[in-house]
Amino acid sequence: MNGAVIPFVLPLLTGTVALWLGRPGTVRRGWFVVSAAVQLAVAVWLIGECLAGRPRVLLAGGWASAVGIVLVADLLASIMVGLSSLTALAAVLFTCFESTSRVEHPLRLPLLQFMMAGINLSFLTGDLFNLFVAFEIMLIASYALLTLEADDWDIRQAYPYLAVNLVGSTLFICGAGLAYGLFGTLNFAGMSAAAAAMPGDPRILVLALLFLVVFGTKAGLFPLYYWLPNSYPILPAALAGLYSGMLTKVGVYVLLRMTATVLPHDLAGLHQAIAWLAGLTMVLAVLGALSRNFIRGILSFHILSQIGFMALAIGLFTPLSIAACVFYVIHHIIVKASLFLVGGVAVVLNRTDDLDRMGHLWRVTPWVGIVFLVQALSLAGIPPLSGFWGKYVIIVEGLRQGAYALIAASLVASVLTLLSMLKIWLAAFWSEPEGVVVRVADQRWRPMLWVVGGMAAVSLGIGLGAEGVMQLALRAAEGALDQEGYVRLVLGAGGKGGG
Amino acid sequence: MQLETALLIGALFACATWLILQRSFVRILFGFIVLSNAANLVVLSMSGRPDGKAAPIVGEQAGPMVDPLPQALILTAIVIGFGVTAYLVMLLYRLFVDQKTTNLAELYREKEGDE
Repeated sequence: MNGAVIPFVLPLLTGTVALWLGRPGTVRRGWFVVSAAVQLAVAVWLIGECLAGRPRVLLAGGWASAVGIVLVADLLASIMVGLSSLTALAAVLFTCFESTSRVEHPLRLPLLQFMMAGINLSFLTGDLFNLFVAFEIMLIASYALLTLEADDWDIRQAYPYLAVNLVGSTLFICGAGLAYGLFGTLNFAGMSAAAAAMPGDPRILVLALLFLVVFGTKAGLFPLYYWLPNSYPILPAALAGLYSGMLTKVGVYVLLRMTATVLPHDLAGLHQAIAWLAGLTMVLAVLGALSRNFIRGILSFHILSQIGFMALAIGLFTPLSIAACVFYVIHHIIVKASLFLVGGVAVVLNRTDDLDRMGHLWRVTPWVGIVFLVQALSLAGIPPLSGFWGKYVIIVEGLRQGAYALIAASLVASVLTLLSMLKIWLAAFWSEPEGVVVRVADQRWRPMLWVVGGMAAVSLGIGLGAEGVMQLALRAAEGALDQEGYVRLVLGAGGKGGG
Repeated sequence: MQLETALLIGALFACATWLILQRSFVRILFGFIVLSNAANLVVLSMSGRPDGKAAPIVGEQAGPMVDPLPQALILTAIVIGFGVTAYLVMLLYRLFVDQKTTNLAELYREKEGDE
């Protein structure tokens, strides 16, 4: 079997088989954990293969990439698959430790696997229509997961999420249709080659702006982000970790893939637009975070603020800033997911995540505090933690290009991030209000904390080994920006019906 | 043919937008159905001018055929649209059962009064 297809098929198979395994129990959970671990191993193997110069290209059914479906596991895609597999493993383990198998919803883990199949397919796919299908697999699973365990009150937040994503999907399919009309192919490599052959055509810019709207909505860029911060908090912690880590990052990845690999590099107006939207997203979202008073609400707004940093890196559009974007994505997925999971641990201990009714956590359970602090400071960008390096490179590149206003906005957003993290810290960990009980007797929090601790260790490793991770990001960015290399890789793969 | 299709697509998008911005659940539902069909029509129109071309069936007729790929694409899109519409129906029904209203404005007004 071609390696590129495993990250898509394996979760699909895992979920389907699990549906036949009956009620949640030890066997079924073991199946999910083993599968998640295998998925991670496959992703690491794919990254290794790419580093060794053997990126995998799968021509489905042996058809040439111009007429058939193609999956491409290049370095950037493999890294993203690795991150999604790691986050999914953490989410599965967290679910197992958080609830006994008697209270676990029987559909939660299978749906999670179906969502993973969609996420991984969107990273690996090499054509636009297949990307649409992957998005829909991911979104339908995510709609179902969002409402699966929501109560009568929370479920109302599912409607804005559904409505915005439905409109986004509709525009996506229009974009795909128009791209086919314009380029005569939906293959990324074919589109890239066709776009290079018609320089200065204004229709390409129009199409690019349509894609910016579509993927900006999925990623949560400025005028289109309102659906996110209200819908994510209704998820249970394990799923919120996965959603916050992966779903918006799929949007960022596709935006990166589109601007770097598919569209011509001289669309300066598009890059400017992305950069300014990013600046606005950063500042407005962090102000939203300051206005919230419960952990998941604050963290949900922070996702958006951080999306601003990644989009700013795309908007600056130099090889180094694209590498910084990749680095930032790597850092952000781990940190954001683990912050949501720490929030979940705190909820188990305090029985709420309303900051007014929390407290004593630092005195009673200092390790929860330490893990939170490491990840929160990393999010704000304190050296030597992982968040610092991504921001550092973005700011250096911004200053080099003279985008002073945007850099000022990003620094303000960083300080405000620290402020809202301190708000959680002071209320949940530092304060010692009367009448708030920390339920240490509830032993669930220990294994849950181990899961988060593992994520925090990975994040610390990224920060301390920033040189190595940055080299990896640089290679991934080079690969993504090398349009000719991508075209050679995909269109040169042969297959029947080509020519 | 192209112009008429473009006008039809525009009209459908306009209707869909108007319906989605209404408050009644049923109108919103119809809005989304119309919206997805308008998008399918956009893809279909990318086959190009059908004048004088044969249907894309192998062995039926010689001569130029209509580009079959957009038709394959909208087939997939229709199936996906079906699934999502079914989910939307269930979600709106559940909202109606839980909150005893089919009016979006009422649904979200309660929240402000409560908090």
